[in-house]
Amino acid sequence: MSQGLDIDHLAKLARLNLTADEKKLYTQQLSQVLTYFEALAKADLPPTADVAMVVDESALRSDEPGKPLGAEAVTKIAPASHDGQISVPRVVDDES
Amino acid sequence: MSNAEWEVVIGLEVHVQLHTRAKVFASAPWGFGQEPNEQVDPVVLGLPGTLPVVNREAVEKAILFGLVVGAEIPAQCAWDRKNYFYPDNPKNYQLTQKDFPVTMGGKVEIELPGASRNVQGEHKFIRLHHAHLEEDVGKLSHSGSGSLVDYNRAGVPLLEIVSEPDLRSAAEAAAFLNALVMMLTQAGVADCDMEKGQLRCDANVSIRRRGETKLGTRSETKNLNSISGVRDCIIYETARQVRELEAGRAIVQETRGWNAENGRGYVLRDKEDAHDYRYFPDPDIPTLKISRETVQRLQKQVPESPYARQQRYIEKLNVPYTAASVLIAQSDLAQWFEVAVAAHPSNAAGIANLVVNDLLRELSASSGAAEGADIAKVSLASCRIQPAHLAALVKLTDEGTISKQQAKEVFTEMFQSGQSPVQIVESKGLKQNSDTGELEKIIQEVIADPSVAKSIAEYRAGNEKAINALKGPIMKRTQGKANPVLIDQLLRKALG
Amino acid sequence: MAQELYQLSATEISQRLAKGELTSRALVEALMKRYHALNKKVGAFTHLDEADVLAQADASDARRKAGKTLGPLDGIPVGIKDNIAVKGQPLTCSSKMLAPLVSPYDAHVIESLRAAGAILYGRLNMDEFAMGSSTENSAVQKTFNPWDLARIPGGSSGGSAAALSAGLVPLALGSDTGGSIRQPASHCGIIGLKPTYGLISRYGLVAFASSLDQIGPMARTIDDCVLLLNALASPDARDMTCFNKNHRQQLPEVAAKSLRIGVPKGVLGKGVGAEVAAATQAAIDFYKSQGCTIIEVDLPSSDLAVPTYYVVATAEASSNLARYDGVRYGHRSANAKTPIEMMTNSRSEGFGPEVKRRILLGTFVLSAGYADAYYVRALRARSKIRAEHLAALEKVDMLLTPTVPTPAFKAGEKISDPLQLYLEDIFTIPANLAGLPALSVPCGKSGHLPVGFHLVGAPLSENKLLAAARLFEAAHGFANQLPTL
Ligand SMILES: [Mg+2]
Ligand SMILES: [Zn+2]
Repeated sequence: MSQGLDIDHLAKLARLNLTADEKKLYTQQLSQVLTYFEALAKADLPPTADVAMVVDESALRSDEPGKPLGAEAVTKIAPASHDGQISVPRVVDDES
Repeated sequence: MSNAEWEVVIGLEVHVQLHTRAKVFASAPWGFGQEPNEQVDPVVLGLPGTLPVVNREAVEKAILFGLVVGAEIPAQCAWDRKNYFYPDNPKNYQLTQKDFPVTMGGKVEIELPGASRNVQGEHKFIRLHHAHLEEDVGKLSHSGSGSLVDYNRAGVPLLEIVSEPDLRSAAEAAAFLNALVMMLTQAGVADCDMEKGQLRCDANVSIRRRGETKLGTRSETKNLNSISGVRDCIIYETARQVRELEAGRAIVQETRGWNAENGRGYVLRDKEDAHDYRYFPDPDIPTLKISRETVQRLQKQVPESPYARQQRYIEKLNVPYTAASVLIAQSDLAQWFEVAVAAHPSNAAGIANLVVNDLLRELSASSGAAEGADIAKVSLASCRIQPAHLAALVKLTDEGTISKQQAKEVFTEMFQSGQSPVQIVESKGLKQNSDTGELEKIIQEVIADPSVAKSIAEYRAGNEKAINALKGPIMKRTQGKANPVLIDQLLRKALG
Repeated sequence: MAQELYQLSATEISQRLAKGELTSRALVEALMKRYHALNKKVGAFTHLDEADVLAQADASDARRKAGKTLGPLDGIPVGIKDNIAVKGQPLTCSSKMLAPLVSPYDAHVIESLRAAGAILYGRLNMDEFAMGSSTENSAVQKTFNPWDLARIPGGSSGGSAAALSAGLVPLALGSDTGGSIRQPASHCGIIGLKPTYGLISRYGLVAFASSLDQIGPMARTIDDCVLLLNALASPDARDMTCFNKNHRQQLPEVAAKSLRIGVPKGVLGKGVGAEVAAATQAAIDFYKSQGCTIIEVDLPSSDLAVPTYYVVATAEASSNLARYDGVRYGHRSANAKTPIEMMTNSRSEGFGPEVKRRILLGTFVLSAGYADAYYVRALRARSKIRAEHLAALEKVDMLLTPTVPTPAFKAGEKISDPLQLYLEDIFTIPANLAGLPALSVPCGKSGHLPVGFHLVGAPLSENKLLAAARLFEAAHGFANQLPTL
């Protein structure tokens, strides 16, 4: 029924906190939607998708530097900043 | 460690910042040493509504790299999103190429260290899997209770060069990176300045018993930022894995970090914690067709490969290996050398020696580089000597117009003033003494000195080398101005 | 009865301004008066900088006086959906997440409107991040259907549609990912065009699902729609998916006799309200009476459209909305000790339930182990749907269907049933999946509620669709019709 829906794992991947009630509700709603999606699993489909859109090199940008916003404009919209840099709580581990 | 029993298998993923003026998907400029967040525009910052547009120069630099290593340039390439959250990643996805990279395959010729510095080592070819074009992330720094983010580096074009697992030692890995750096810098693809973080490397390391063909479980160490770091890390990691297996434990697939300060690796995350990057094709960047005209145009920019050049210097120009290996590391140096050789083709070795020993030493000293610093990285921009003048100096020496000792003096003057050697020789009256009469007189005086009688007797008895003992005193009396070739001739005549 | 200024179409305004019978200032003053009287009731605008509007109007009047008018849009107000960036104005997407953000740059369409002399007239309410079909997902306010204030205006461009039908503004920008221009247009009795994918630059349109999103014009008459479309459609090198050729065109005169109109098999069958079906049938009959050829077409993969759409759209959205994390701009949670906690808390506090639901769904369909079954299959289904539509559009000039199966529902009626709400878009979604131009045109009423029909054409056939719609408009009284408020 839930098609392998692991709501805790999804919430972690999506960086969302969910309350117990939300977890229950979303699990139920998403399961319903995924059941509806079963039409896709059953459908007779082409073996591969077409390439959505193709452009040639004329769509590329020339290597001309443009005008940056400037650190002042960047920090002005930032929730917190210090000396032109954006501040965040301390990063514990440098992994990425 | 019983390394004899174990074989290490290494694959490298090398990230190099491409030499462009603007960023890879945005027009913001980039460059080292700017104030934080001064090289950021709405696209780099990932402001709502902004879209990436691929920089033509970045694509062409990537293609050029592909041509340098003999890779295939597919007719189309495409970008994907790699999704992960991190404060230095403005969109919380990185634009990269997963399934359709800009170059496929290719190979890099490497040279292993020889038995000594004067001996050329073994050459091998390391296959590349592919290279893809992606964007760099910002930089985090830590201060007290918080961290600070500077997005200047975000969006800088990165070429990720992925090797096949063809490397079999830390030395091979280092040789591979050396070769890559030479090829990338000489083609103008990248500057590879490791001090500025322009080249970073992930090392995939596994070991297996010699003779085994199956690959062992690998670890991946991320973000090594120097060639020595890569070498040290591989040695460390090989030893660690041997220790594990010999203790009867299994190697776990994991992602590791490297602490260059204490020379130790550490676990970042194991397979269970592996990221689920949820790759999918970026809907903002259509698949890009690469025309064959572009490929052909870029093919013309492919320079001679460093090791082909080295072989040519050794075989065609008779340059000793030690000098050739230094010359090829830097293409402007090699070009400088070749201009000089064109002006005096008969003694390329003499020119090479002067360039590699004297010129580089002086350039290095005048640039204030620390003793023992990488001499090949010296800039020729400040060099006042013209290649043709250096060639002329070698020619003057070869023709006997000035002595080798005088040549050193002239070189020093040339380096300081930028004058031609002919001018210097004339203005300083350094012309070698070729006055036969005066020289004959000095020779007569010297051979009359009883202290050399023994040498004369030996020479006359057939010992050729004994004659050399007479040349020193003669040279001394002429204050080094005598032409050594002439001394030799006259001395032999005098001794009969 | 003398026409009030708010009742004028943009084309009429343009003519009066040109003749010197009207000033832009007088017009915006009348509109702002109406705004003060009605916006609380309708809830269409979330922000209106009156001083800025007056300054723009005065500048336009000054240009006109100096003989330097910038074109037919000069001095005419255009309402802007709040997911299009205007420098110096809020860009909230009707979300708490972006409530604090003031955009430091202009979208391409905003630059185009400025260049055309149009007056950027306020920000229009929408479903949060354009996710919804009722505008009930706005975190800012509710918007009501001017034809029945107990009902929803449709969505996500509900503010734009409601503002037009309430006579608050003569032109508006909407955006359409699965029907977000056409469905509210149908519900509010106005015209809404979703252009061919790539005709209008998305630079500055806050992305919901990048491969489906298009900005489009919303208006009360076909001529107004053309006027606005021509100002928006221009090449832009900042959007690689935007055509690099200029496709602005004059509206062609189409001869009804040469038009072949396709009607998908069984389209007025199950799920379509009786009065909607009747109004659509009347439109089909009208075209037939004019000499058009009506051809039944088969689109066998139509049933796949909604699941395909929700997989593709949520997958892209989960990634597009990842950037809202409280680090660089927008809402940041006050209580967090680590960056992960800060990002997670900010997102949890900033996003509403529908946005969270779609992010979770999109994360799922892309996640390891499920991407092949959902995301990759959806791309394959999308190819099939596109191919079937393009094949059908070789045999006919355009497809005609209802825009929405049923008229505007009561506020609160479907909010708790996402799947029911997703089915609102059943007729509009295929045009987004296939990148085709599509237009909703008012064609009658279901009770007191407007109903629209829907035309879908081959890529870049906007002008043909608009010309066909104008034939209908000219023969009926639905153009520029405003409810009594
Ligand atoms: Mg890597
Ligand atoms: Zn990479």
